[in-house]
Amino acid sequence: MRRALAMLVISTILLALLPLAFLTPPATQAEKSPALQPITCPRRGGTLVIIHWGDPKSFNPDSQVDDALYNIAMQIYNRLVALDIDYNVVPDLAESWEVAPNASVFIFHLRKNVKWHDGYPFTCRDVKYTFEAIKKYRGIAYGLLKMSKLKSIECLDDYTVVFRYSEPFPAFLGFLAWYGTFVLPEHIFNKSEYKDWMDPKIPALHHPIGTGPFKFVEYVKGSHIVLEANPDYFKGRPCIDKIIYKIVPDATAALQTFLAGEGDILNNRPPLSEIPRLNKTPGVIVEMRPMPSRWYIGFNMLRPLFQKKEFRYALAYAINRKEIVDKAMNGYGYPAEGTYVPAIKWAYNPNVKLPEYNTEKAKELLDKLGLIDRNGDGFRDYPNGTRIVLRLLIFTGAEEEAIARVIKEDLKKVGLDVKIEEYEIATWEAKVVKQRDFDMALCDGFEGPDPDNMRIRFAPGAYINFANYSNMEFKRLLDLASKEPDPEKRKELYWKAQEIMAEDLPYLPLADLVAFYIYRMEWHGLPWHLPGVVGLGVYERVWWEKGTPVTTTPKPATTTTAKPAAPTTTATKPSPTTTPTPRTTKVVKTTATVTATVTKVATTPVSPGAATVTLVKTVTVAKPTTVYATSVVTKTVTATTTVTAGMSPAMGIAIAIVVVIVIGIAVALARRR
Amino acid sequence: MGTYILRRVFQSIALVFVILTINFTIINLAPGSPVIFMAGQFGMASKEYVEAVIKRWGLDKPLWERLLIYFANLLRGDLGYSYRYLAPVSDLILERLPITLFLTVTSAVLAFIIGSTLGLYAARHVGRKVDAALTTTMFVFWSTPSFWLGIILMIVFGIQLRILPVSGMINVRAGYTGVMYYLDIAYHAILPITTLTLIMMPQYFKITRDAVLHQLKEDYVITFRAMGLRENELFRRHIFRNAILPPVTIFGLQLGYAAAGAVLIENVFGWPGMGRLLLDSILTRDYPVIMGIYLMISITVVFSILIVDLLYMLLDPRIRYR
Repeated sequence: MRRALAMLVISTILLALLPLAFLTPPATQAEKSPALQPITCPRRGGTLVIIHWGDPKSFNPDSQVDDALYNIAMQIYNRLVALDIDYNVVPDLAESWEVAPNASVFIFHLRKNVKWHDGYPFTCRDVKYTFEAIKKYRGIAYGLLKMSKLKSIECLDDYTVVFRYSEPFPAFLGFLAWYGTFVLPEHIFNKSEYKDWMDPKIPALHHPIGTGPFKFVEYVKGSHIVLEANPDYFKGRPCIDKIIYKIVPDATAALQTFLAGEGDILNNRPPLSEIPRLNKTPGVIVEMRPMPSRWYIGFNMLRPLFQKKEFRYALAYAINRKEIVDKAMNGYGYPAEGTYVPAIKWAYNPNVKLPEYNTEKAKELLDKLGLIDRNGDGFRDYPNGTRIVLRLLIFTGAEEEAIARVIKEDLKKVGLDVKIEEYEIATWEAKVVKQRDFDMALCDGFEGPDPDNMRIRFAPGAYINFANYSNMEFKRLLDLASKEPDPEKRKELYWKAQEIMAEDLPYLPLADLVAFYIYRMEWHGLPWHLPGVVGLGVYERVWWEKGTPVTTTPKPATTTTAKPAAPTTTATKPSPTTTPTPRTTKVVKTTATVTATVTKVATTPVSPGAATVTLVKTVTVAKPTTVYATSVVTKTVTATTTVTAGMSPAMGIAIAIVVVIVIGIAVALARRR
Repeated sequence: MGTYILRRVFQSIALVFVILTINFTIINLAPGSPVIFMAGQFGMASKEYVEAVIKRWGLDKPLWERLLIYFANLLRGDLGYSYRYLAPVSDLILERLPITLFLTVTSAVLAFIIGSTLGLYAARHVGRKVDAALTTTMFVFWSTPSFWLGIILMIVFGIQLRILPVSGMINVRAGYTGVMYYLDIAYHAILPITTLTLIMMPQYFKITRDAVLHQLKEDYVITFRAMGLRENELFRRHIFRNAILPPVTIFGLQLGYAAAGAVLIENVFGWPGMGRLLLDSILTRDYPVIMGIYLMISITVVFSILIVDLLYMLLDPRIRYR
C-alpha cells in the first residue's frame, strides 16, 4: 500500500516537471544556452547517496511506466531536450531545434561530440531507432507523442533529425522533454536476433549503456544501485565520483535513514508531519515548490442524484478547501482555484472561480432539491425516507484518509452522510474507473506539462474521465486546442474550456500539491537550483563541499565549442574555504516561499509554446543563472554537523557482543540469587 | 514406515497443487489488473500500449486456460516470467532466498532457544517475581506490532545512540569487500533479527512454560520427587523431554514460513528479501512472482509439517507411524 502511495506521489512529482515546458523563453537571445556550457567543478570527488523509494522495473526507460527508474535513467541516459525546474525546455542531446510554422515539422541539430558509455559514437541513427521503436513496440510515450500521427523520422545527416507529423502538434516539445523519451543505443538494441526491445537477451537491459553523465556499475535488487562518473561525458566529467541510490521503500524508514546520515538526498516523500522536524535538523535543507498537480473529487454523473447540477454545487459549497489544506495536508499545499492548475500559468484562467465555502448556500440548495431530513436523525433522506449515503472512494494512504475525513465532516454539517471506502490503487481503479461503482472518488494527478492533459483526463471518452463528464462542447474546444499552432488562440480555447468545466463542475478541485527537495547542505549544483542549465533530476553538475579543491580551471573534456567556463555555480555562491561556510538557504513552510517562486514564474515571458512554435530558428536559451533567487531565506542554519554514517561493522558487532555478554552476566547473577 | 513416508509425500504434493489452484483463482479474481501497473498513472498510457501489454502476457485468455498453461510450465520446471522485472521468477526468488533465510532462520532459532529456555526457567520459578516479570514482558512483546518495535529500535540504536545502522543490507557508501562485506551484512542484520526474535520469542516462552507446568502435575513427577530425585535432574531428564514437543511443532511450522520472509520487518529495515519481493509483487499485481512465492511457501510449509511429524518419532518413542 505504501508503495502504491509512493508510486503515486512520485509519479506526480515526476510529472510535475512537465508543465512549464511551454514557458519557453523568447528567442531573441542569440548567445548559447547555459545548458550547453561544460561542467565546472569548484571541488572534485565525493559519493552522493540518494535515498530512493523503489526498485526500477527494467533498464529500458522508454518501454513502460517506471517511476522508480525515471530519476536513475536521467543520470545514465540523455533526451533530445529536457525540462528544468521551471518546466522550460532546455537543450540536451539536441543543441538547437527548428519548428515549422504550423508546428508539424520539428528539426533537431544534435551534438557532435557524444559517445555511448561503451565508446561507440552517438549519431542520428540512435535517435531514429529510439523513436521508431517507441512507435513500433508501443513505448510508454506512444500516446503522449501521438505516434499514430507521426509520418516519418528522417536523418538529414548524422547530426540532423527531422520529425514530421501529419497534423499540427504544438505540445510536442514539452512531451519530448518528459517521460519515456530517453535515446537508446541503436548499435546494442537493433539486432535481428532480438524479438523486440525488451528481449531479455539484450545486454543493455541488465547493464544499461547510455550517453549520460554517469555510467552504470552495479544493481543489487532491493538494496542499491551504483553509478560512477563518466569521464567522457560531453559536457565534461561530473565533479563527483559516484552516485549511489539506496533503496528504502518505507517512508518512515527512509526518513530515519536520511536523519541517521546514511543519505544526502531524500527522494521519498516524507510524512508531512515530519517536515518541521526535518527542517530543524542541522545540516538538512528542505525546499518546497508548487506543483501542477492537485487533489480533486469526481462526482459519478451516472447517478441521478449527481446529474442535478444543484446537487454538485451544494457539495462544492459545503466542502471547505482551505480546511483540507490546513488539516489534511498540514498546510503544505494551496486551496484549489479554478479548474486548471495555476502552476501552468499561461494556460490557467484566473477568472474561473469555484464556489466559495458557504454552508448556508449548500443547505438552501439541498432543501430546494427536496432532500430533507425526514426522520429527524440529523441526516437528509431521499423522498422515500431512506438516508442518503454517499460513498467516497479513496486510495489507501494517510493524506487521502485525512482529506476524506474533512470532507465527511464538512458534508455532515449540511446533513449528508458520507461513507469512506479505502482501496489500494488497483482496486480503486477497477471500482471507480472500470465499473463506475462509486458516488464520489478522490484522486490526485499531474495536470501538465501541457494543458492538453485536460483532454486526456477530463474529456468525454477519455479513459480516466471517471465522472462520466459528457459535455461535447468541452471536448470540441480541447480537440481544437490540441491542434492549434497559434499559442494565443490555443490559450483562448483552454480558457473557454475551463469556464465550461467550472460551470458544469463534474469534478471538484480541492488542493494543489507541493514538491519537496530534501538534501544535506554540503552538496551544491543541485538541479533545482539551476534553472535553464540542467534538466530537473539530473545530477551532472553536483559538487561536494568536502571534495578536493580544483585550482586550475578544468579543461572541458571533449567539448568542441570550448568556451571559458560560464559562471554557473561559483559566482553566486560563497566559495568553500577550509571551514565550510554554511549556506543560508533553508526554506521553512511559508507562503513567502511560494509567492516568491510564483512571482518568479510570472516574470518568465508568457505565451509559452509561442516561442517554440512560430520560430524558424530557435536556439533555446534559458535565463542566465540567477541561481538561488528562487529559494527564500527564512531561516539561517547555525550549525553544521558532521554526520557519521554509522561506525564500522566490526566495531558495531563488537559493541553488540559486549552488550549481549553484559546481559548474560546480569542474568546469571540474578539467577544465582 | 517407508510406505507411510511415501504416502505422506504424495499427499503433500497433491496438497500443494490444490493450494496453487486456489491461490491462482483468488489472485486473478482480485480487482485490479497488472496492466495498469505497466501502464502507470492512468491515462498516461495509450490504448494501443495497453492492448499490446495484454496480448504480450496472454492476459486476454480465460482463467482456466491460463491455469492450465501455468501448471504445464510448472511441471517443466518453469515458474514463469515476471511482468514487472521481465526476468524469470525462479531467478528472482533464488536471488532473494538466502538473504531472507539468513534473517528468518537466525531469528527463528534464536527465538526458539531463548524463548523455551526462559519458559522453562519461568516454570521452575512459577509464582515468583521473576516468573511474573518474564510473563509480563513476553505479553508486551507478543502484543507489540513488529513494524512499530522495529522503528523504535531503529530510532534508539540507529538515530539516538548511533551504534547500529538504520536500514539496508550493506553500507553502500563504504562498499566493503571480502570478509568485511559479510561482517557488514551481519552488522546490518542485528536490528531486524533482534526485532524478529523479540516478536517470535513469546510464543515459545508461553508454550514451554505451560507444557512444563502441565508436566509438573503428572504422577511420575510426584513419584520421582518422592523417590528423592534431584530437581535439576528431574527437569533435565524427564520434564524437559516431555515438554519440548509443543515448541518443536511451532518451530517447525515457523521454519516453513521462513522462506516467505518477514514482510513488515523487511520493509521497515529496507532488507531486500522475499517479503519485500512478495509485497512489491502484490502491489503491482505481478501474478507470476506471487504464484512463485506461494508455490515455495506451500512446499516449505507442507513439508515442514511432514518433517515435524517424523521428528516426533525421534523425540517421543511412544509415537509410531504406520
